[in-house]
Amino acid sequence: MTSTPTAGARPDEVRRHNRTALLRRLHIEGPTTRAALATELGLNRSTIKALVDGLAETGVVEERVPRARSGAGRPSLLVLPQPLAAVVLAVDIRVEQVAMALVGLGGEMLGRNSWNLRGKAREPDEVITHIIESMRVLADELGVRTIAAGVSVPGVVRRSDGFVHEAPNLQWTGVPLGDRLGAALGIPIRVGNDAEIAALAEHLRGVARGSLDAVYVSADIGVGGGVISDGATLSGTAGYVGELGHMVVNPTGRHCYCGSRGCWETEVGEVALCRALDLPEGSPRGAVVAELRALSAAPAEAERKLAEFSEWLVLGLVNVVNAFSPELVVLGDLFTSLPVPLVKRVGDEVGRRSLVSRAIGGTRILASTMGADCKLIGAAELAFETVLGAV
Amino acid sequence: MSEPILEITGLNKSFGPVHVLHDVDFTVRAGEVTALVGDNGAGKSTLVKCIAGIHPIDGGEVRFNGQVAHIHGPRDAAELGIEVVYQDLALADNLDIVQNMFLGRERGGAWLLDEADMERAARETLASLSVRTVKSVRTPVSALSGGQRQTVAIAKAVLWDSKVVLLDEPTAALGVAQTRQVLDLVRRLAEQGLGVVLISHNMADVFEVADRIATLYLGRMVAEVPTRDVTHAQVVELITAGRSGELGLARPETATV
Repeated sequence: MTSTPTAGARPDEVRRHNRTALLRRLHIEGPTTRAALATELGLNRSTIKALVDGLAETGVVEERVPRARSGAGRPSLLVLPQPLAAVVLAVDIRVEQVAMALVGLGGEMLGRNSWNLRGKAREPDEVITHIIESMRVLADELGVRTIAAGVSVPGVVRRSDGFVHEAPNLQWTGVPLGDRLGAALGIPIRVGNDAEIAALAEHLRGVARGSLDAVYVSADIGVGGGVISDGATLSGTAGYVGELGHMVVNPTGRHCYCGSRGCWETEVGEVALCRALDLPEGSPRGAVVAELRALSAAPAEAERKLAEFSEWLVLGLVNVVNAFSPELVVLGDLFTSLPVPLVKRVGDEVGRRSLVSRAIGGTRILASTMGADCKLIGAAELAFETVLGAV
Repeated sequence: MSEPILEITGLNKSFGPVHVLHDVDFTVRAGEVTALVGDNGAGKSTLVKCIAGIHPIDGGEVRFNGQVAHIHGPRDAAELGIEVVYQDLALADNLDIVQNMFLGRERGGAWLLDEADMERAARETLASLSVRTVKSVRTPVSALSGGQRQTVAIAKAVLWDSKVVLLDEPTAALGVAQTRQVLDLVRRLAEQGLGVVLISHNMADVFEVADRIATLYLGRMVAEVPTRDVTHAQVVELITAGRSGELGLARPETATV
């Protein structure tokens, strides 16, 4: 991630690289003993000591004697990342609401806010102003300075400068989100597609931890996907990979705003789910979740109501598995509220029908366990990616 | 549309000669935030206390999950899954977070409380709400800030697997940043499928989190409307005058010039 293959490295570069690797490890895995750090990073104990001492001096980490002792001898000191040493802003812009949080080193959420987007509040100017104002309030309360920001947007985003080409469900086109937030806040801003960001979160902190090849599929109003390939985010030209919701699965289906017809999204998105559940279109998210939860208690009814929906889900997932050959597919957002037996059945069915799944010994299909904060966590990680080296 | 989780029809309540609530109809739907607004003395808190079983009702019907329910005391309400969070941060100052969350419903045998189990449950609940601002669940409540107290009170509702949470001005005593945090928590409760009732005087807050707005005016429910269908000004009119255009009380037909 931060390492660049170079012909030769000077000692200070090596040191900086090691320091970043150590910080990243503490940030993701949490408090670790010095001994464990030495083993896992494959570094000498004295190197670890020098690095940790340096970090402790600037207040980025703290060392403590571990409470539970393991084995004989002098206990190795536990190194704890200090949340307030590096704080980033994470923003999750959704169709119906914006959620934001200040996240400290180690992934702790230190403060948060959210608001509904209705009518005028959905315009880019309003959203950007609100984000800036809220960030000041939250940062003042904590008495910290944020060093970077990560923003998740449900749309097509240019990775390099955070330009939002199109976020159809928000009715945004051509919004220089990254530049505008950067100019106002004066910190590096990274903007990403929501599903791509959620995939990152699952990869680093969720059920896809340790999987090198995973696909994240989520249903909000729209359906999107993020692909982790060989341990890194697959981005494609300019970073537009992941519009899985616009795979055409039903050529005779409904028209989609994207100009196509019968996109996967029109069969398994929130609108389709509301249709299956006999809820009016545009029901609040909580109402859909409550209805799904009620259905979990009535398996026969769930089966009947969601039969068609799950068939489309299987169909799309078979395509996804065949295309990307992941060891794991994580279902996120609204999909996490689907009855557990249904997800299991969908997973089994995909395993039966997908050639690739059979070849690699069965792709697992799991629901995310991170809940609604998945994208916030991912946005924070996106922000941390750039600044860990400079902490 | 699925059935409302809590449906009240024709509720009446008097304190002696004072008729406080007149034929109030009120519905709470699972997964939605319903804001209950009204001027001082309109009967908001009384309505909440009637639902919570603190005040006995004089007449009217309460249906919970489609079934007629008789709420004779706070314990009945708690059994149905109705939890109330009061504006005065009703927690016991001398007890810690775990003790407060389990107050009156402690786990364990007759002689020995299962402290470890209660502590674990409390910690898990707070974590599920991503409340990480509280250092330890054994912190006495007196040492917490207003926002943290409100968070603990709300987390209690989640811990007890409540279906309906009534919040009586949860942000009245809080600063700006803490208000944001509590409102964020309120929204997340609804997203988990709970029915949430939020009493608030702050219109900006109401419009930010509520899905529906119910307005009380002098003890009468004058309007129950989806937030997206009304403007700020209309709601203020409903609160102060009881009507706004087509909404609210009918105009007196006998009006003479």
